[in-house]
Amino acid sequence: MLARSSEMADADDVLNAAADPAVVPARSSAFGRAQRHSRRVRVLKFAVPLLAVAIAIAFPVYSYLVTPAAIPVKADGSAFSDGKLVMANPKLEGMTKKNLPYSMTALRAIQDPKNENVIELEGIDAKLPIDAKTTAAIDAPHGIYNRETNTLDLDRDVTVKTSDGLVVKLQSAFLDIGKGNMKTDKPVEISRPDSRITADAMTVEDHGKVLIFDDNVHVNIYPAKAKAANKKESGDGVH
Amino acid sequence: QSTTSSMSGLKLSGDKPIQIESDKLEVHQDQSLAIFTGNVSVVQGPTLLKAGKMLVYYVKDGKGEDKAGTDAGGDTQGNASAGSAMTGSANIDHIEVDDKVYIKSNDQVATGDRGTFDMKTEVLVLSGKKVVLSQGPNVLVGCKLTVQMKTGLAQVDACGGRVMMSLTPNSQK
Repeated sequence: MLARSSEMADADDVLNAAADPAVVPARSSAFGRAQRHSRRVRVLKFAVPLLAVAIAIAFPVYSYLVTPAAIPVKADGSAFSDGKLVMANPKLEGMTKKNLPYSMTALRAIQDPKNENVIELEGIDAKLPIDAKTTAAIDAPHGIYNRETNTLDLDRDVTVKTSDGLVVKLQSAFLDIGKGNMKTDKPVEISRPDSRITADAMTVEDHGKVLIFDDNVHVNIYPAKAKAANKKESGDGVH
Repeated sequence: QSTTSSMSGLKLSGDKPIQIESDKLEVHQDQSLAIFTGNVSVVQGPTLLKAGKMLVYYVKDGKGEDKAGTDAGGDTQGNASAGSAMTGSANIDHIEVDDKVYIKSNDQVATGDRGTFDMKTEVLVLSGKKVVLSQGPNVLVGCKLTVQMKTGLAQVDACGGRVMMSLTPNSQK
């Protein structure tokens, strides 16, 4: 009760002061200030929550739009080591111009973020189609794959095995996967059950349709064995 | 006018190992064709063939020996023989040699401008401006030499000109 009574006292003082002529101009400016303040408060009371809501909506929408679409190369795991992106067991598949499937897997792929079209591959195993019926399996310990030109430069010994019994041993090979061409200027050895070719350089064109061997070509054909093989094959009907 | 003599050595057979050397080789799988160019030399047993260029045509649809297999395995057989064009296994259809041909077998030598070996009929034909066939000191010159590789019978034709033959008597033992 004590508090209330003191407040009542203040109210009386204010009423008495109002009547005093010297105080009137100060009082009207104070009143104006108070009026402006309350108007400002009324506006802010509405504006601030509105602003908060707007920000709350804008942020998630913006971050959704900025994120890129899915990344094409599938890889088991990837990590950064000395500034390079290292992917384990990368796998790349696609179709050649003749709409035949090709696939390429590797043990490791190393990609320099500064030039992401060039990927260094280790332990490469590629499957390239020669034609509808035969495919070539290519194994190479090391190579550089260029995504832009779709070419694979294998700089160490390469083995190519085709499904119709052909084995090709090269010391290096430059493959243009899209066009289905291959080129090497190092000695080559191609062997089949019934024959063997060696040469110092070789080019393969048109998906293996045309093979060109250059300098120092040696061909050994062993028809007798081939005949026997054919006989045996045709004998039991297996082809 | 033609002269015949027997030349048993001059032949390439389809079932004996062959070694071929050349500067360049082009294999066209789809045409079952292999083109050897540049110092081509072919060795099969006693026979040696040298030429500037050699085209080897493989049997396309794989008729070859096992006729029975043709229809059933026709496709795969065809494919197999096309595949074998890679290096030319047994079923060679015929061979064309060009650009100065030299064939030597034991003591017989034949030279000409062009030659063809037809593996099916086993006939060797050597032709050119001047075809020379010699056996030791005996020499036969004409413009066309046809050898039945099975029997070794060789026939030299002069095609209009004259066949020149020189025999050294004591060599007819």
